[in-house]
Amino acid sequence: MTPTVAPIDFRSNAAAAVQDSLLRAALRNATDTFAAKRAQAAACVPLEELREAASGIRSEVLGNLSSYLDRFIERASRAGAQVHRAADSAAARETIFSILKQHRVDKVVKAKSMVSEEIHLNDYLIANGIRVVETDLGEYIIQLASEQPSHIIVPAIHKDRRQVGRLFAEKLSCEYSEDPAQLTKVAQQTLRREFLSAAAGISGANFAVAESGSVVLFTNEGNGRMCTTLPRLHIVVLSIEKIIPSLADLPTFIRLLPRSATGQAITSYLSVITGPRKLGDRTGAEELHIVFVDNGRSSIVAGEYRDMLKCIRCGACLNACPVYRTVGGHVYGATYPGPMGIILSVLLEGMAKAHPLLDATTLCGACGEVCPVKVPLPDLLRRLRERRVEEGFTPAIERAGIAAFGRAASLGGLFTLGRSMARVLWPLMEKLIDPQTLGRLPKPAERSFQRRVR
Amino acid sequence: MTRDETIDRFLENVAAVAAETARVRGRAGVDRMIADLIGGDSVVYCPRLTELERSIALPEDRVTDDYTSASVCVEEVFAGIAETGSLVSTSAGGRAVQGGLVPQHHIALIATDRIVETLDHFFSQWGDGPPTNITLETGPSRTADIELTLTIGVHGPGRLSVIAVEE
Repeated sequence: MTPTVAPIDFRSNAAAAVQDSLLRAALRNATDTFAAKRAQAAACVPLEELREAASGIRSEVLGNLSSYLDRFIERASRAGAQVHRAADSAAARETIFSILKQHRVDKVVKAKSMVSEEIHLNDYLIANGIRVVETDLGEYIIQLASEQPSHIIVPAIHKDRRQVGRLFAEKLSCEYSEDPAQLTKVAQQTLRREFLSAAAGISGANFAVAESGSVVLFTNEGNGRMCTTLPRLHIVVLSIEKIIPSLADLPTFIRLLPRSATGQAITSYLSVITGPRKLGDRTGAEELHIVFVDNGRSSIVAGEYRDMLKCIRCGACLNACPVYRTVGGHVYGATYPGPMGIILSVLLEGMAKAHPLLDATTLCGACGEVCPVKVPLPDLLRRLRERRVEEGFTPAIERAGIAAFGRAASLGGLFTLGRSMARVLWPLMEKLIDPQTLGRLPKPAERSFQRRVR
Repeated sequence: MTRDETIDRFLENVAAVAAETARVRGRAGVDRMIADLIGGDSVVYCPRLTELERSIALPEDRVTDDYTSASVCVEEVFAGIAETGSLVSTSAGGRAVQGGLVPQHHIALIATDRIVETLDHFFSQWGDGPPTNITLETGPSRTADIELTLTIGVHGPGRLSVIAVEE
């Protein structure tokens, strides 16, 4: 990590996003709907019991991650899968590309995977001459628009139906429509041809099961099933912390993940894949590769932020976060947005680059309340904010100001004097200090509260 | 939960996710129900691996072995889960699990004694040796990726009919 890395410009990004009324309407609609559906679905199960159980299972795995990983690798290999471990994004990209090259693949169909975004897989494959077709409708929309996902569950949450209609008319040469059903049909027909002619499928995985060496995928559209059963080669890319001990643990997560993500009791499809096609089978890829991405997680799991890796990527904390709900996912300038995204970005990409994201929280605690696996999100955010100050990543003027305030506040007379001075000097400060920095300070009242009530 | 309650709960939950349901006693009613569901011009894929699948009368001139060219798949599924209204297919016994995915209309037959109460009942049986593929199917294919507007039928079937067969 170089100390000269440019920090993410969260403040300017956010300032632009709050001016975008279309974006804000789309976000309000989506996050309100998801939050309401989640609450409704959660009321049908003993939620606290489930969260406690899920949190316990995830903690147990993270406490013994390397032995669970070893067991998974042994069992998956026994079932015929080829398992690879990649220390970082570059190694993961190269591993996947070399598998594709070996099979002379020129086109892959892809099911939604956030880890593949994290390692910037698509750009790399495309630069190396492979056509990559995203098949989740939301991912397909943003791929056509050359954009990044703005939500980890509904990637095109920031686009309305008219924008999608214009995009399809332009890129797919079809008639303009703003009917979601019609647009979905256009995508389905275009993608069906891709599924049936692709030599390889790439997918993520929601869970990897240590005892059986299986990978588990939750999808609604059926594209995940297509990518994993129709092409002769299937590559799974996932991060190392996605392990659960056994299939008997899966029901707890089935009850929590879709409920927390979309408010569904279960997704339309859930696939448990154990190895490639075997003798006598008529289902499954002929060759199955599983690529584990580390990207610093081995050291995260050994440190004080281990609990972040309990995350099962449901997106509930995004929908609950007052900052995300206002500005959306793009302004975070990172793979993962929202509360979980701030923490993961700082841990994965370093404080120097990601520290401005620590401004993107009000520490209201809503994220911690909805988290299905009890990641202590508000607590982790607060600890990272403290580390940010200790490591000197807050602006110098802010640090000087806070230090001066600290000294002044401990002396009664000086504090009163300072308060009057602030009022008198404010107009001058408005001239001397740039508005962004000044905006971090509260404007002094014309008359102090004390004086008004006196 | 009694057997009957489990079956009722299963069918209620299947219906709740926008699938059609029916419950028949004995095989006599199955043929007619399927004939009605298939209609006059569809191309039918049926794996004919189980006794029940082999006993179904199908319009032979419109039956295909290639599920990618079929518009309807008629098959008996491996199990049902009452808690979620899920159908389960597995790759065991040489079944092409994707056969129920590619055609536009999936007609699933399920023997009522294959319906279990909860997800735990189903997932506790595999240990370290599950088949290559286990797929739970709950309702038809769906998306809400455009403005969260629910749209049924994306890559998977747009129509799912479930017939519970009681021997």
